[in-house]
Amino acid sequence: MFLQQLINGLTLGAVYALIALGYTMVYGILQLINFAHGEVYMLGAYLGIIILGFLTSIGFTAISLPLAIIITLVISMIFCSAYGMTIEKIAYKPLRNAPRLSPLISAIGVSIFLQNFVMLSQGATDRVFPPLLNAEGLTFLNARITYLQIFILIASVLMMVGLHLFIMKTKLGKAMRATAQDRKMASLLGIDIDQVISITFIIGSGLAAAAGVMVAMYYGLVNYFIGYVAGIKAFTAAVLGGIGSIPGAMLGGIILGLMEALGASYISSEYKDAFAFGLLIIILILKPEGLLGRRVGDRS
Amino acid sequence: MKKFFSLILFSLLTFYFLLFTVIGCAKKDDVIKLGVAGPMTGDQAKMGMDFRNGAELAVIEWNEKGGVLGKKIAMVVSDDQHDPKQAVSVANKMVNEGTVGVIGHFNSSCSIPASEVYNRAGIPMITPASTNPQLTERGFDNIFRVCGRDDQQGAVAADFVINRLRLKKIAILHDKTTYGQGLANEFKKALGNKVGVVHYGGIIQGDKDFKAVLTLVKEKKPELIFFGGIYPEAGLLVKQAKELGIKAPFMSGDGVIDPKFIEIAGPSAEGTYLTFSPDPVKIPTAKVFLDSYHKKYGDHGPYSIYAYDAANIMLTAIKDVKSTEGKKITEKLHTLEFKGALGTIKFDKKGDVTVVPYVIWITKGGKFEEYK
Repeated sequence: MFLQQLINGLTLGAVYALIALGYTMVYGILQLINFAHGEVYMLGAYLGIIILGFLTSIGFTAISLPLAIIITLVISMIFCSAYGMTIEKIAYKPLRNAPRLSPLISAIGVSIFLQNFVMLSQGATDRVFPPLLNAEGLTFLNARITYLQIFILIASVLMMVGLHLFIMKTKLGKAMRATAQDRKMASLLGIDIDQVISITFIIGSGLAAAAGVMVAMYYGLVNYFIGYVAGIKAFTAAVLGGIGSIPGAMLGGIILGLMEALGASYISSEYKDAFAFGLLIIILILKPEGLLGRRVGDRS
Repeated sequence: MKKFFSLILFSLLTFYFLLFTVIGCAKKDDVIKLGVAGPMTGDQAKMGMDFRNGAELAVIEWNEKGGVLGKKIAMVVSDDQHDPKQAVSVANKMVNEGTVGVIGHFNSSCSIPASEVYNRAGIPMITPASTNPQLTERGFDNIFRVCGRDDQQGAVAADFVINRLRLKKIAILHDKTTYGQGLANEFKKALGNKVGVVHYGGIIQGDKDFKAVLTLVKEKKPELIFFGGIYPEAGLLVKQAKELGIKAPFMSGDGVIDPKFIEIAGPSAEGTYLTFSPDPVKIPTAKVFLDSYHKKYGDHGPYSIYAYDAANIMLTAIKDVKSTEGKKITEKLHTLEFKGALGTIKFDKKGDVTVVPYVIWITKGGKFEEYK
């Protein structure tokens, strides 16, 4: 049973980690908690349903299902990246030099707007994702892993490794790290801050969209409200790992997923959410900067 | 993308249209207001809309015949979002608006607190769907229901498990709501000590991932899993159980009997047992209702016919006493013997219906059908 719970928890955790990355990257650079991030994830899930529905209607999924899923993932990521960038340009950029509370309120506003936008355009009822890889999977050592879970785990790990390499090895990644350390100094050294911020939002939103599509496929159920809970969980994961720290967000997500799965099975399924948030409280008391976060002075 | 935008445009237009019709209705004063309350948005919106449509059909039919007491009937539709807090504020709103009677709510967890508001205001309420026993056990004389009760439902389910399926080991899950947990408790009580309950526990309504608790249940190897709750969670539970390789069938109550359940669970829904009243398609008196419903709204939901009958009973009582006074209507409802689409309906002293035939249904070939 432990192995099965490990699989359940890891799948959940990988998704949390993908969303948490968006929070942590934006916080690292702008010190802004982007509350609209969960909504981008929800948009990704809806786009997944629309695109995959379209591909099915033209008979593409019948030809090659894995290819159709990858195309859905990529298109959804592109759209959501555009959403993310636009949100930044409209809602945050004009407020960049305003007090820190203003962009935060703006973020909440964007979140409410997007939720209602989707509710009005897509309806308030649950949308069901077309069942694709129904319950097929592998069984070993009395535990079962579906092909979809394998896909989610591999895709998440690939994206996280890719992000890590991008930040550590490329010039743009270096610019991002420099901006995170000191925005003014970075701009004095000739780094285009606006571009770096745009790219941060593009990457973060793309990852959230990927998480959205994968979750929609995994549970098969999407509504306009899913961004709220997922956003809060991912935010918890980001804080748990140390907000602003990219490896921290990955670790935080995985820990959160495992905590939920193991807590629900060994202690009580009725208080599943309580374990996640309880853990957060304990970590914040013992290590306020998060697991992998660094203690920094007040920069504002 | 074009489809996407046209959908947006369409939805916006419908929304504004609806908004204006609602405002248009509220302005008139010389109408009799009939309240309809249920979850009109959110994940249970399908049930709420079925409900609303059933009641609306009755109202339209009455209005075509000239309304009641010489006035037209206007529906006041309220959305409680299956949230008990919202249900109370919606109930207060409807009392203030001067509704003469209320058809609703859907969820027991909403009907029970809302019924206290209606009781204080003396407005009769008929719920088409809330099955928790407590609703009519508190001595409120103006609260009625046209559906059955969970103690009856649980007993039928337990009898089926003991005598027809002859099972020995069962797991019970519920969604911690008044309805879900209530049904699970009644079922467990009715099982007595004839069947071993290997797991009994709650899940969180609105959650999407139940694999942790299902893994736990799988370890205990039950022969059947009973779930007290509503279809969104039931669909996900059944689906995720299949993914974990659980072979035991599921069984649930009237909150799950909705096409959306099969849509969510997909092929995993096959073989799920449900307790519900007999298929209206097989009731001869229901034919006229079903025909006009299908013509106007498409397929009927499980509770459409109950809302239709509830609205008809309420309006008949108003017509008979020639008054909109809550007290008189209530008195009439207790004695009325109504011949509706469901057959003859009569309320007992508590406000429950006198005859409730619960039967077992099964999911087969992507459809619900009565189990033989």
